[in-house]
Amino acid sequence: MSVDYILSITKPMLEGAQMTVLLFIIAILLSIPLGFLITLMAKSNNKALSWFAHTYVYVMRGTPLLLQLLFICFGLPLLPVVGEYLVMDRFVAACVGFVLNYAAYFAEIFRGGLLSIDKGQYEAAQVLGFSKWQTTNKIILPQMFRVALPAVANESITLVKDTALLYAVAVPELLHFAQTAVNRDFTIVPFFIAGIIYLLMTLLLTLFFKWLEKRFKFE
Amino acid sequence: MDIIQVSNLKKSFGNQEVLRDVSFSVKKNEVVAVIGPSGSGKSTMLRSLVNLEQVNGGSIRVQDDYLVKDGVYAGNQEIKQITSRMGMVFQHFNLFPHLTVKENLEIAPRVVKGEASSDIQRKSAELLEKVGLSDKADAYPAKLSGGQKQRVAIARALMMNPQILLFDEPTSALDPELTGEVLQVIKQLAQEHMTMMVVTHEMGFAREVANQIMFMDKGEFVESGTPEQLFTNAKFERTKSFLHRALK
Repeated sequence: MSVDYILSITKPMLEGAQMTVLLFIIAILLSIPLGFLITLMAKSNNKALSWFAHTYVYVMRGTPLLLQLLFICFGLPLLPVVGEYLVMDRFVAACVGFVLNYAAYFAEIFRGGLLSIDKGQYEAAQVLGFSKWQTTNKIILPQMFRVALPAVANESITLVKDTALLYAVAVPELLHFAQTAVNRDFTIVPFFIAGIIYLLMTLLLTLFFKWLEKRFKFE
Repeated sequence: MDIIQVSNLKKSFGNQEVLRDVSFSVKKNEVVAVIGPSGSGKSTMLRSLVNLEQVNGGSIRVQDDYLVKDGVYAGNQEIKQITSRMGMVFQHFNLFPHLTVKENLEIAPRVVKGEASSDIQRKSAELLEKVGLSDKADAYPAKLSGGQKQRVAIARALMMNPQILLFDEPTSALDPELTGEVLQVIKQLAQEHMTMMVVTHEMGFAREVANQIMFMDKGEFVESGTPEQLFTNAKFERTKSFLHRALK
């Protein structure tokens, strides 16, 4: 097994990994705010909003992500009348699926974070004259994010690995190139290389979140 | 002049009446201690004053404005304006754990009142010195003892220049050896003629610092008087027996 060979198969895999990273970044950046919005809806006094948020979380967590991806990529275009307008680029469709799915998990994580905040915090803020919005923004959110951080880190690492589901909707990414090389060259090496690339990505994430946790230790 | 005047305050949680017809007033520069057995409605009464509890009947007047009149509350803006004249110190401090001591003091004047940064900083430095915690300005609450936390909480309330400061059992969550430092700060405020209302179980403190002691029992205002009157010459049997037990 030559170094040249390893380099020659690693190169397309790294290119595929760009897709993985791109999807990861889009999914994280959009699903966290969307998740928080759903948390707020779930806690809202408006019955319809709250019902919608709970149902949303139930459906998104209660069905496989793979099913949701297939549904969006291949199912929606089959709908009568509107279907033809719902044909999306595979990668875009996958992004939509990931964002919608992960938002549900983040919503639950943030809800847990909110539950952990003592009601004395709201009372102190009220007595000091904070409005509802100021209380949420300045007092509750920073504490909620701190509490939620370890769970968010965990979910992010899961997301890195879930990007491999792109394979199922035929968007060429890291795993796709590994599998191609394995089939072509009859060797297990590409799988090892893929594993190492995933490990490197999760290592980076782990270090980043460790740093965040330390930075926001409040001690 | 009365800072607070309360008349016929009523409040129930479900079937349970926690305040029955409570009436009293607090004059400017006065220190009122509220004593009574657990569950007598002291804390609920105090919390009603700053709208943390809503009453079912009666009136609360702060200076010339009614927070609630005969059971009808003022509008939201008015409620905010009226309660902003009162500061509150809680049993469990309720400091903001994600902010340093200094930030805990400065956040409300900055966010709520939009005061100038230089004024805020000067004032927070002054108040931290007053409560003896200048060296803790950049510490997070997690690193403070209970007594230190409560002194920060007092300074935080004072940042908003309240007309009256309310204390809800300020030393009940503290280890006995830490109550002294908090009571000392309250005593000092009393000497500076800060108007205060203190719900407390510290009889010695009440006797020493208060101008007026209010005894509550079972949601009722039983009697009030100077410490001298109450401790040596209470009118009602239940006041006497409570004091007898409390002082033992």
